Amino acid sequence: MFGATIKGMLAHKLRLFLTATSIALGVAFLAGTLMLNDSMQRAFDDVFGSVNSGTDVAVRAEAGAVKTEDPDDSRPPLPAKVIDVVRGVDGVAVAEGSVRGYALLTDSHGKPIQPQGAPTLGGNLASDPGMRGDITLRTGRAPQRPGEVAIDASSAKNGDLAVGSTTRILFRGAPEKYTVVGTVGYAGEDDLGGSTSAYFDLATAQRVLGKQAVYDSISVKAGDGVSDSTLAKRVDAALPRGMEALTGQAVADEASAAVKKGLGFLSIALEGFAGIALFVGSFIIWNTFSMQVAQRTRELALFRAIGATRRQVMRTILAEAVVLGLVASAIGIVLGLGMAKALSALMTTFGFVLPTASLRIQPSTVLVGFLVGTLVTVVAAVAPARRATRVLPVEALRDAAPTATQFSHTRLGLGLALAAGGVGALLWGLFGSGTPLLIPGGVVGVVFGVTILAPMIVLPMASVIGAPLKGAGVSGELARENAMRNPKRTASTAMALVIGLTMVAAVTVFGSSLKSSFSDVLTSSVKAELYVLTPTPNAEGFSPEVTKVVQGVDGVDVVSASGFGAANFDGKAGSFTSIDPTTADQAFDLGMVDGKAADLKDGGVLVYDKTAKTKGWKVGDVVSTAFPRQGSAALRIDGMYDDKGFVNADYVISLGTHDKYVPDRLESTDMVVVDNGADVDAVEQRIDDALATHPDATVMNQQEFEGALGGFIDQLLSLVTVMLLLAVLIALLGIVNTLALSVFERTRELGLLRAVGMTRAQVRAMVRWESVVISVIGALIGAALGIGLGIALTRALADQGIEKVAVPGVQLALYVLAAAVAGVLAAIGPARRASKVDVLRAVVTE
Amino acid sequence: MTIIETRAGTHSAAHARAVTKAYGEGEARVLALDDVSVDIESGRFTAIMGPSGSGKSTLLHVLAGLDRPTSGEVYIGDTEISGMTDKQLTLLRRDKIGFIFQSFNLLPTLTAQENIVLPLKIAGRKPDPLWVQSIVETVGLGPRLKHKPAELSGGQQQRVAAARALASKPAIVFADEPTGALDSKSGADLLGFLQHAVKELDQTVVMVTHDPVAACYADRVVFLTDGDVVDEMLSPSSDEVLEHMKHLGA
Repeated sequence: MFGATIKGMLAHKLRLFLTATSIALGVAFLAGTLMLNDSMQRAFDDVFGSVNSGTDVAVRAEAGAVKTEDPDDSRPPLPAKVIDVVRGVDGVAVAEGSVRGYALLTDSHGKPIQPQGAPTLGGNLASDPGMRGDITLRTGRAPQRPGEVAIDASSAKNGDLAVGSTTRILFRGAPEKYTVVGTVGYAGEDDLGGSTSAYFDLATAQRVLGKQAVYDSISVKAGDGVSDSTLAKRVDAALPRGMEALTGQAVADEASAAVKKGLGFLSIALEGFAGIALFVGSFIIWNTFSMQVAQRTRELALFRAIGATRRQVMRTILAEAVVLGLVASAIGIVLGLGMAKALSALMTTFGFVLPTASLRIQPSTVLVGFLVGTLVTVVAAVAPARRATRVLPVEALRDAAPTATQFSHTRLGLGLALAAGGVGALLWGLFGSGTPLLIPGGVVGVVFGVTILAPMIVLPMASVIGAPLKGAGVSGELARENAMRNPKRTASTAMALVIGLTMVAAVTVFGSSLKSSFSDVLTSSVKAELYVLTPTPNAEGFSPEVTKVVQGVDGVDVVSASGFGAANFDGKAGSFTSIDPTTADQAFDLGMVDGKAADLKDGGVLVYDKTAKTKGWKVGDVVSTAFPRQGSAALRIDGMYDDKGFVNADYVISLGTHDKYVPDRLESTDMVVVDNGADVDAVEQRIDDALATHPDATVMNQQEFEGALGGFIDQLLSLVTVMLLLAVLIALLGIVNTLALSVFERTRELGLLRAVGMTRAQVRAMVRWESVVISVIGALIGAALGIGLGIALTRALADQGIEKVAVPGVQLALYVLAAAVAGVLAAIGPARRASKVDVLRAVVTE
Repeated sequence: MTIIETRAGTHSAAHARAVTKAYGEGEARVLALDDVSVDIESGRFTAIMGPSGSGKSTLLHVLAGLDRPTSGEVYIGDTEISGMTDKQLTLLRRDKIGFIFQSFNLLPTLTAQENIVLPLKIAGRKPDPLWVQSIVETVGLGPRLKHKPAELSGGQQQRVAAARALASKPAIVFADEPTGALDSKSGADLLGFLQHAVKELDQTVVMVTHDPVAACYADRVVFLTDGDVVDEMLSPSSDEVLEHMKHLGA
């Protein structure tokens, strides 16, 4: 039987090729994203391992109550004199203090070297080379005196800097000029997980990073014969309260875990994409197998007729599925390598540089690829195989006639129940108290529900969409009939497209709502004419020095600075915006419900009205707050506000309070009100000139600000859209599959049409129009679901300042149009095949 | 070589001149048609008969432009078709020729009515309502016109096919074993209809059959053996045809 299986598979090369391609593409997407994810994570393990490899024991302050993304952000610095305590511990060979902070390098043209998302680090390089671990000097030497800096090899390359070059470095305080004396690498890598690094001698680092007489941590080298863990315990015992000592390895693991957690959203996104791709792939595999088995009814009936049992037939089909699944998965895993590289390149193109030196293939990736690919194939084969074994030999000889389409009540009921349950779960997850996991769960429920209902929907849809085709002559009319003849097949083909388009449409709706809400905020609650911001949205902020520079510009009336940060309020992690209470009213409108913005004192807080109502707070109440480094504070409520548009946080504090608890904070936005009657453009130009020495900030008017943010949103959206388009691409392959197999199935019909005078061009048009009808059905259902999902997401975030819902009709219409065009493209191959049907062989009955 | 001349007073709807059709090469070469010349008269019902493998179906396909002769010339009316391109042949079939095959004549997605006017639709021509009406009435399908083929009996399906073949007023209708899959009653109905179309509606029909009973509906029977025309018979009766077939060693 097995020999017959292989022979049977090879006998239909096209069919085999189409099925294998759909499996391989699904697996490739899955494997590619997994590989990318693994490589990213491993890259961080390596980086932190190498940085900490020279440290046997690390001493640092205990973490504060506030959990921040980077655990080091929540630790206050250590007094410098603690190092003497550490040096006195038995078994300590060397102990060196280190500091770190914000330092933005500029390139040879004075432009900031701003990484995408990763921090811009400044610090000191250990003076004992043995303590630098895998941080090695690639060229030059370590910085030894003020005015010298060593930088990471990536920054040197990107900024066109080398030993001997001069670079201006921006700090929280005034910028300074440095001479590059060395470049460093980290084992094999050129940078620390995408961030930029500037190394100074210890005294300089302490001065420019605002860490006089303190260290962020102390690194210890153990003497001979002392194990790291023993020494860590000894040092820990000797330390004053509030400080701890742990092994270098533990610190590395912690840092790596923190970064991975920070990257978690990316991993989830990648896994989400893989899931979508696999889902789409399963549809196609399912569809292709069903049609394949249906077409082989005669062959299978012959097996039955010559004495094969049902079980044997079943086993033949399943064996075929297993062989096909294994081979195609293997191809898919190999293709996944390319997919991972392509995805990485894609992210880079869109400005998200991932730290992946080389692709890593985990055995688990290979296993998952094989398992998923094969399993999906086998599962997809079971239902059609069962149907095939029930076929009586007599039936097999009949011609394939369209069966009357009858849908059971079970289908309707199950479909409606799943869709309704999905919508319910989605809404509960978004608006209710349900866990966020309900959101993807709900989406999957809706998709399954719609999948079950789809055969019922496609009939009227094909009828309506195909209606204009009646005018396109007989080809159009027949295409419409063909799309309607097997609603289940049309539905499952279209559904593959639905999934991708739902996501694309949801993202589009969400993005345009975001943009529209943002420009609404700018026009309704902001009174300032100009904004000073960081040049890219990825930067941490700009130095408060910038605010002073802008204040001095001729024609500037008021500069109202603002900052942003995280803290625990009333025991719950949250974020705050800091404002200048004396000028805030002139720059923007907080929509004060109770009190005035000017009432905000240092040590006070303004609370978002809704939050205050929920908590039952009144003006004068005290909110217990914990800032990451400096610990707890009791903030008195000075007022409530209603307009979250600009501040985008539940709590507003004064810049003074912010400074007190976060001394090295950066500014996020300066709102600039120009003098009455001054020419705004001229003032903007003058600010721009004044900021020539401060490339960490840039000035924009309202339109430019809107454009810049819109551009950033668009960029994010296009990245997501491009990735989702890969899923759409797989879906198109499914349409090619369905059409190719339909053409094969309808050979005799096509021959008849050709015999009674249909030209090849007309035959091609017929197949093409059918493809267009299927694609447009998929696109329309997808757009409808996507609009719903997008609106739900947007409404759920209304509290976050996304108050407007915008459905970009033109863009969505373009997607549907693009789907129609894609349908035409998908039909090229099958249409050619259809037009080449041999008339005689098709119509002559042997 | 046998040449059968067109009789006075009629003109040729189709004719073949020295047509040869060979399959395969060298040793394996098989002659399906061996230097055949034949005239199909306009306005008459011609049957082509012969034992299995005599080449009768091949002759029909070559005459109808569905297949190309290896050598020789084929004319539909006065038009030489053996050198035509695929596109020209398609248009010729569409405008000048009607077809009835042994089975699978109808598109399963279309109703009987839609199947009947399909060739006209393909050509982008408006059906002549009176003509289509008269055909449909003669075929006797009135109440079943809105049905899909799957809901029609075999005999009804073949009658729809016959109506389809005649709907565009073709110069000639080719029928390839049209009764081959029908019971005798349905077969007789269909043949009666074809006979009526020739006599009353002035159509031209060429039919390949191996059934002497079917052949006797024709005005003329052409006998083929081993790829060549060997004889013909006018206004035949089934006994005569049967007798003749025996002589041919069928």
